[in-house]
This record gives sequence, C-alpha cells and structure tokens, in this order.
Amino acid sequence: MNKVTQKVEKGLKKRYMKEKIFKACGLVSIGFAFMFLLLLLTDITIKAWPAFVQTQIELKLDLSEENLGLNAKSAQEEIKQADFRAVIRSALKKQFPDVKKRKDRKELYSLVSFGAEYQLRDLVMDNPNLIGTRSSIKLIADDDVDAVVKGTINRNDDESNRRVKNLKLSLIEGLEENNQISKQFNWTFFSSGDSREPELAGIKGAIMGSLYTILVTLLLSFPVAVAAAIYLEEFAPKNRFIDLIEININNLAAVPSIVFGLLGLAVFINFFSMPRSAPLVGGIVLSLMTLPTIIIASRSAIKAVPPSLREAALGLGASKMQTVFHHVFPAALPGILTGTIIGMAQALGETAPLLMIGMVAFIVDIPQSIGDPSTVLPIQVFLWADSPERGFLEKTSAAILVLIGFLIIMNAVAIYLRKKFEKKW
Amino acid sequence: MSITAIIFVLLLLAAYSYFIKRQKVYALYRTQSIKKSKIKQTLPKYFGYVAALWSLVPALLVLIVIQIIDEPLVKSSLADYIQSEKIVIGDAADDFDLYMNEIKNMSIDELESADPEKIKVFNQYQKFQSISNYAMTIIVLAMAILMTAFGMKKVKINTPARVIFEKFIEIILLLAASIAVLTTVGIVLSVLFESIRFFGEIPFTDFMFGLEWSPQTAIRSDQVGSSSAFGAVPLFVGTMLISLVALFIAVPLGLMSAIFLSEYASSRFRSIAKPVLEILAGIPTVVYGFFAALTVAPFIRDLGESLGMSVASESALAAGLVMGIMIIPFVSSLSDDVLSAVPTAMREGSLGLGATQSETIVKVLIPAALPGIVGGVLLAASRAIGETMIVVMAAGLAANLTVNPLQAVTTVTVQIVTLLTGDQEFDSAKTLAAFALGLMLFVTTLILNVIALHVVRKYREEYE
Amino acid sequence: MNTQTMKENINLTNMKEKSIAEIHAEHKQTIGEPFCDNVKFSTRNVDVFYADNQAIYDVSLDIGKNEVIALIGPSGCGKSTFLRCLNRMNDTIDICKVTGDLELDGTNIYSKNQDPVLLRARVGMVFQKPNPFPKSIYDNVAYGPRIHGLTKNKAELDELVEDSLRKAGLFEEVKDRLNSPGTGLSGGQQQRLCIARTIAVQPEVILMDEPASALDPIATAKIEELISDLSKNYTIVIVTHSMQQAARVSQRTAYFHLGKLIEVGETNQIFTHPRHELTERYITGRFG
Repeated sequence: MNKVTQKVEKGLKKRYMKEKIFKACGLVSIGFAFMFLLLLLTDITIKAWPAFVQTQIELKLDLSEENLGLNAKSAQEEIKQADFRAVIRSALKKQFPDVKKRKDRKELYSLVSFGAEYQLRDLVMDNPNLIGTRSSIKLIADDDVDAVVKGTINRNDDESNRRVKNLKLSLIEGLEENNQISKQFNWTFFSSGDSREPELAGIKGAIMGSLYTILVTLLLSFPVAVAAAIYLEEFAPKNRFIDLIEININNLAAVPSIVFGLLGLAVFINFFSMPRSAPLVGGIVLSLMTLPTIIIASRSAIKAVPPSLREAALGLGASKMQTVFHHVFPAALPGILTGTIIGMAQALGETAPLLMIGMVAFIVDIPQSIGDPSTVLPIQVFLWADSPERGFLEKTSAAILVLIGFLIIMNAVAIYLRKKFEKKW
Repeated sequence: MSITAIIFVLLLLAAYSYFIKRQKVYALYRTQSIKKSKIKQTLPKYFGYVAALWSLVPALLVLIVIQIIDEPLVKSSLADYIQSEKIVIGDAADDFDLYMNEIKNMSIDELESADPEKIKVFNQYQKFQSISNYAMTIIVLAMAILMTAFGMKKVKINTPARVIFEKFIEIILLLAASIAVLTTVGIVLSVLFESIRFFGEIPFTDFMFGLEWSPQTAIRSDQVGSSSAFGAVPLFVGTMLISLVALFIAVPLGLMSAIFLSEYASSRFRSIAKPVLEILAGIPTVVYGFFAALTVAPFIRDLGESLGMSVASESALAAGLVMGIMIIPFVSSLSDDVLSAVPTAMREGSLGLGATQSETIVKVLIPAALPGIVGGVLLAASRAIGETMIVVMAAGLAANLTVNPLQAVTTVTVQIVTLLTGDQEFDSAKTLAAFALGLMLFVTTLILNVIALHVVRKYREEYE
Repeated sequence: MNTQTMKENINLTNMKEKSIAEIHAEHKQTIGEPFCDNVKFSTRNVDVFYADNQAIYDVSLDIGKNEVIALIGPSGCGKSTFLRCLNRMNDTIDICKVTGDLELDGTNIYSKNQDPVLLRARVGMVFQKPNPFPKSIYDNVAYGPRIHGLTKNKAELDELVEDSLRKAGLFEEVKDRLNSPGTGLSGGQQQRLCIARTIAVQPEVILMDEPASALDPIATAKIEELISDLSKNYTIVIVTHSMQQAARVSQRTAYFHLGKLIEVGETNQIFTHPRHELTERYITGRFG
C-alpha cells in the first residue's frame, strides 16, 4: 500500500462516523414525523372514544291521560303541546322525595338532558298507545351525568375541584344502585344537528353540509378543470396569454386558502348577493380553490397518454377534437379521476375560506338543499373545539375521527383507481 | 317568466333545431346519393349541433347581458322615481344602497307596518321588477326564435359544420382555461378595492409602520381613524415569528426525510414511508389546530414551567411547531423531486472518487440541487405565512410586538378571521382592515410563489 | 429481445456462415492469454446479475501493473458492467449482484472487510459523459483531496490541484479562471477536468468508461494523448467502442461479447490476427 492509501485509511474511521450520524439524522427525521402522526391519531382516538357511547337514565314515567291532558285519540298537534317536562320531573321527584330545597330540585331535574322531554314527546307521537300507561323509558342523561358515569369526572376529587357537586353525585349513585343508568351506542351523534348541549349535539347537519358543498365543488370544478387541462395540453398555441394562464394556475395552487375566502365574501356574497352560509357559495369558493390541483393532475394524466395513440387516430382521419375526446380523454380518465378525488379530499378538509363566507354560524337544522344555511365537518370541529363545555371535547375528537375516516376512504378509492387502471404505455 | 323557465324553453328550441336539421341533412344525403362517389361526408349530427348552437348561444348571451344590466337599471329608475316624487329616504346619498336593500327584502307582512312612503316605493319597485321581467322574457325568446330560423337557413349542406362546431368547443375549452386568470383578477380586485377604501380612512403608512394593533377599540365611532389602532407591524412580526419556527422545524426534517427516503431507505421502507407522509399531508389543518391548542400548547407550557420559564399557553412555539410538522411532507416531497432531478452522473462522479454517500449528498447533491431546494423552502414559507386554522386555534389574539417564541403573538390570518367572522357592518374600518391584511398576504405569497416557481423551473430546465 | 433481433439480423445477412448466436452459445473458454505476470488486478470466474438477468458470464482476466488494457465489444456486451465491478460502482445499483473473485494486489475487493470508499480512492473512474460538479474548476479538482484529507494546508492543496491539472494537460488553458464553474468549459475540457479530478486522489488504477465517446475528434485526440502519458504511472482500464482508439492507446485488448470474455491478447495481435471467429467478425466490421 502506498502513502496515499495510508492517508486515506487514517481518515476513514472519522468519515464513517460522520456517515453513520448523517444516516441516523435522516432516520430520526422520518421517525419524528411518524411519531407525531401516531401521537396525534392515538390522542384523538382516545379522546374520541367516549363520544360514541351515550348514557341514559331509565325512569318510570306516568303517562296517564289526566297527567298529560291527552287521550288515545288525541291528534298529533295536541300531543306536541302536552307538558312532558312535568311528567319527567314528577317521576324524578317521586324517586327522590328527600330533595326538597328549590336549588336542590334544580340539580335533580338537571340529571336528565334538556332534550329529554323532546325525546319523550317524539316517542309518544310515534307510539300514541303509550298514552295512559306507566312505562319505563330510557331518557338521555345530562352531559355531567355522562361524564361522571364515563369517569371523565373523577368522583374521588375534592368537591371544590369537581364540576359535579356531592348532592348530584349522590343522586347519580342512587340511580346507579337501582340499575337505572345504562350505556348504549350514541346514535344521537350521527342523527342530529348541532346543539348547545353536548349530549344532544350531533354531526348529521355538518355531514350533510359537507356533502352538499362537495357536490357543488365537484360539479363545478371537474368539468371546468378537465376542459382547461385538455385545452392547455392539446390545443393551446404558444403565446403570451397561454403563458399567463399557466403562471396563474401554478400560482393559484399556492395562494393561501383564506384569500379565496376573501374573494368569496367580496364577490359572491357582497357583489352578487348570494346567500350567506350556504353550501352553494362554499362550493363555488372551494371549486375555485381546487381547480389548480385538478388541472395540474389532469394535465399530467393527459401528458402520459403516448403520442402513438394520437397519431393512430389522426392517421385514420379523425379530427383533432375527435382524437382528444374519443381516445386521449378516456385513456387519461383514471388519472384525472384520481386527481379529482384528491382535490375533493382537500376541499373536504378545508376550513379557512368557509369561515369567511359565514359557514361558521350555529345551525341546528339539517340543511335540505344547497341554498340552506349550513356548516361543514371541519368547521363543526372548529366550533366545538372552541366550546367551553367539557362534553364537547370528546365530540370534537369524534367529529375529527369521522372527518379523517371520510378522507381515508376517498384516498383509498383514489389509490385503488390508480392501481386498477395503471397502464404501462 | 323565471330564468329557469326561459332556459328550459331555450333548450327545447335547441333540441328542436338539432333534430330538424339532422333529419334534413340525412334526407339530403340519401337523395343526392353522394355515397356512390365515395366522398367522405360530414356526419349529419354536426349540422344538427351547429343549428342548435344558433338557437341557444345568442339568446343565452343576451340573457346574461340583461341579467347584468337589469339591477342597475331598476335601481336608477327607482332613484328617478324617488326624486320625482320627492320622497325623503335618509340623510345622505350613500344610504341609498341600504335603502334599496330594505325595499328589496320587504315582505308582505312588513307592508302593513311600514310607513306609507316606503310602501309606495315598494310598489313602484315591484312594478319596475315586473316590467323588466316582461322585457327580458320577450327579448330573449324573440332572439331565440329569430336565431333558430336564421340558423335553419344559414346551415346548408356545404357548411363546414364539423369545423364550426369544433371551433366552438375549442372556445369553450379556452374559456374554461381562462377561469384561472379570472380568479386571480377576482382576488386582486376584491382585496384591492376594499383595501383602497380602507386606506382612504387609515393612511397607508400608519398601517404599514404602526406599532399598535387594536381594531376592537376602533369600532367606537369617536375612535374611527385613530391612527394608532391599525398598525400592522405586530401582525407582520407575529406571522414571521411563527413561520420561522415552522420553517426551522420543517426544512431540516423535511430535507433529511427526503434524503433518507431517496438515498438510503430500502424500496420496502420507502413504499411504507411515503404513504405515511402523504397521510400527514392529508390531515385537515383544523385537526392540527385542535391538536396544537389542546395537546401541544399545554405540554409546552408545562414543560417550560417545569424548567422555570414562563410560557404563554398560546405560545408562538406551539403553533409554529405543529405548523412545521404539517409542512414536513410538503418540503420532503419537493426536495425529493429536486434531488432526484440531479443527474446520476454527478452522484457517480463523486462516489467514483471514493466519497462516502453522505459526503456525496452534502458536498455534491445538495449544492447542485440548491436552487431547487431554495425554491421549495420559499413555497413552504408561503404556505406557513398563509396557514390559517392552526394559528386561529393555537395562537393568540392579542397583538404583542415580540420575537420571543414563548410568548403569544397573533398573525395576519388570525386577524382576518377574527375581523370577518361575526356580524359586523361590512363597511366599517374594522372589516375593511381585513381586506387590507388580505392584500398584504396575497402580495407577499404571490411574490414568494412567483420567485419560487421561477427558480424551480429554471433549475429543472438546467438538468433536462 | 436484443439477442433475438440481433440473431435474426445476422441470420439474414450471413446465411451460410454459422450464426453469431450459435458461436456465442458454443463459446466456453476464453482464447488468448487472460493471465499475466506482475498482476495488479486479478479477476476469476466473475458473474454479474441484474435481478434475474445475467450480464457477465464467468469472466477471468488479469490486469498487469502500469499497463493499459482496452475492453472492446458490441454495445450491451457487458464491458461497462465489468469495468464498474472493479471499483464496486455497481454497489449503487440495488438489484446488481457480483460473484467470483476480484483481487486488487492480492486482497479480495468484494470481501466484507473491504471498504468501498477506500477502494474507490485507490481505483479511480472517469465516466462516459463529462460530469463535473457544479462547482469551480479548483473545487472540482480539490474535492477528492479534501474529502480524503490528503493535504495538510492550502498551499499543499494548491500545489496538488495545479499538478493534477497539469498532468491532465488542462492547466495552461484554465489557470486564469480556476474559480469559474467547471460546467462552463467545453466538452473536451470538462472531460480532462474529470480526469484531473480523478488523478488528484492519486489512485493506483484508473477506470475509463468510453471517456471520449461524447467528444469531437480533436478533443478525443487530446484525451488519447493524455492516456498515453498517464500510462507511465497508472494502470488504466479503458472501455471503448472505437477500435482505432483501442489500437492507439492500449497494450492489451480484451474482446467481450454478450457477457462473455471471448478473447484476450496483445493489442497488435488482436487487431491483425484475431483467433476467434467472433473477434474477427467484429474487427472486420461485420457487426457492432
């Protein structure tokens, strides 16, 4: 071995050390990202878990005719007017005769949810033969009760630090001893709209709102994006205007989403006087936002179609337009669809621009059309995350899980499409 | 007639034109027996299409034009009417828009309670409305019928129907592509217009260089225009601080991840790691915001406290940290593209001299890819500056002028959201300020994007 | 597929003769003198696989100290693959597997203890296309000495850079612009810069993979001249597709065909009296 080799060999150990450190840095970087993802998902899943379970209190209710002022032949309208709150309260009073003070009574009545009377009303309206009976009926419990039963509120905490005071706790324990408290799958969460009461709040309104918004987005952005992509790839001449379009598309893909919200507010709501908080405007804004994404994906899908296919069609005497629509477009369609789904997933998770156009309102009703005021899933998450009630924490996490679930499904479909129709040209 | 009904009639007319014309050409082809000469003919359906376009497109264009001029026309006639009847509507002329809105939104029930002058105006308004509607219906339908007849005559057997139809489609495609330009113009106009109104009230220099931001106090009429309230410097500094924290996390981690994935990882590891990074990129920002506000921020605060430091519960560090993690996949995929564009010859040249892999990466690949990486970092910075939900949920509202990441700062996007959500009058300086901030945001990100896209493109061309 | 078309072509043009593929299939033993005295590099029974495709079949060849040996053959014959085995550049390709004994000065370069980095410092390589780093001319040449820590100070490094550039015959041309980027040079200058970069590490063996294939005739002539100069101090293995080049610069020539080493011998002998039919046909230009 000569001198140079010896010199090189001398430095080798140190250099390999550096190599190892460098490689480890890379691994650590990826590991950090993975760790964070894992942490985020587990944290949210753990927080969300209780939201899928609902606590109910079973009460013996006196639904006698004189108590409700109804009889078996009463019309639905009359049933609607009946005082179901009194029925529930008297049942509670009867079970806990010791609670006398007015303040304590209030605690007692707040064991069941504020919405229990409506739950009971709907039940009686559906089954009028309940009138005149004494039946045991499960009513939705208040969120405090729910929290105690699920253990979110620690019973052993000092009373001063505990949201649920001793009196209420003893009432709850009384109910528990009687086996009157039960838990079941929380259908309310999936079947009702927003509410100020955590135990009554659901995401159906937000899901429907998201659905309508995405529908508008899809119907607007897909045709426009495909048309734009086809034009730019197949027909566009080389001139300054086309350059301008290309620069604009690339730039719009990187414009902050909130700016699109400002556009929506200034142009669609103030200038065109479109309805505030409506999926229609939300959909338009999101479609403008997702257009660049879909155009860019569609263009690369069209670009991937080999020239030989075009030449074959042109060689048979097909016009340029026929070539594109009969051959190139179908061949590029899977790629275009994949891009579209990814764009839609992006739109589904988008929050900021929709805040700008007023989709942040508190809306209880489930939207019935694209013109109704509504909110969307990410905004529901945002609204609940801001709520002071503890009961909303689990709801927020659960709504996030549902949102991520939708996104995963969409992405899985996109991957499936890509795999299934992947062609090797 | 309602617009939907008019459009329906137009579509019926178009369908009629299509079928009639197609049938006619069919019949002509058969009788003329051109078939024998074996000359290729344009398919009959193209003649039908062109005829249908004649009956549909001009009428539709007229309809759109009428829709646009309809409202100002009604408004000005109503203004004339009000003037001629000498009805007092308010103290100033700029209240007229508000007054119009009131009139428009009046319902039948309100009529009973409203004052008689208003009712008079309302009735007149309805009259104008119905006149304009009649006029519109008649003009559009007349146009449609006229053009249908014209099209029937004009489209002959020797018309190059296919060429015309395809040209039409091409124009439609071009229009679709132009929407990108329209969107940009729309953004510029909407933020610029409101910003100019804002700068009419607050001097531009006060906004750009003022050190105090407190829009809430400026709602009170006696304080409107008080120059100290709309100084945006604390917002700019806050935005920069959080973005810097984010980039400080995202750039090294993203770059190292990309390097590891493209240079070291086995293909199996890569096939797992890339989708996981994609998941990280696909998580909605509102989820990051929730996590930042409820998990990361309290954790950092507690950690700081246990080390004897005072950390705000809405610290810039927490928001920046989570934002940085959100941007990792973005930086990583951009760097991956850029690194893989460096020719293999460069890699082999270095390895062939006996360089280790890390030496090759640090001393050859990264310098060679530097323009592309810088472009990627600029794009990431643009994303960080424009990111909204994480900061809305995890950063503060109070505009502190500080560069200490342990304190709470607010950002441009946070202020836009707080100024525009809730029910404010649209014209107040407070809401207009949001558009001025929006303009700043748009201009900043536009500059970053244009530079970045240019740099990246130049870089790519160099190695292609 | 390549073999297929080649086979067909040959069949069509040389109906009466034995087809190339047949001769190739029959070939078992390398003809000529693959082994020599004063060995620098010795390779025995080398097989190379890309995933399931075998690229090199049982090649045994010695490379003598301070000799220039040319590897020739039609494209796709494996000469470049074989060359890249000699400093383990094939390691960078995941699916590539090398078996057999390859010894440099008697130590197996594919053994576990052998460090590829050290090996490549001893066995330098010049590539087909000039691939200067996007750095200054000076930094290009100084890159190797810097990473290996060959010099103690700036003055020594300056000296080494100048010396290397001189040996590569480039110094006079670039001495005034050592700090301008290496990518700004002409193709021939770039390739000489790459050679200077390689000799700056002071390797024992230099591998050249068609170093002049991307250059014009004048630049090629300069490179060839340079190779002749370098052969005094270095062992050089050069892959070339130009037979004239092989004839001009090398002492020995090895002919490869579809992954097999067909014939080895003195360059003169190979070009004037090829012993193997395939070599003869290639030399006489009946395929290539």
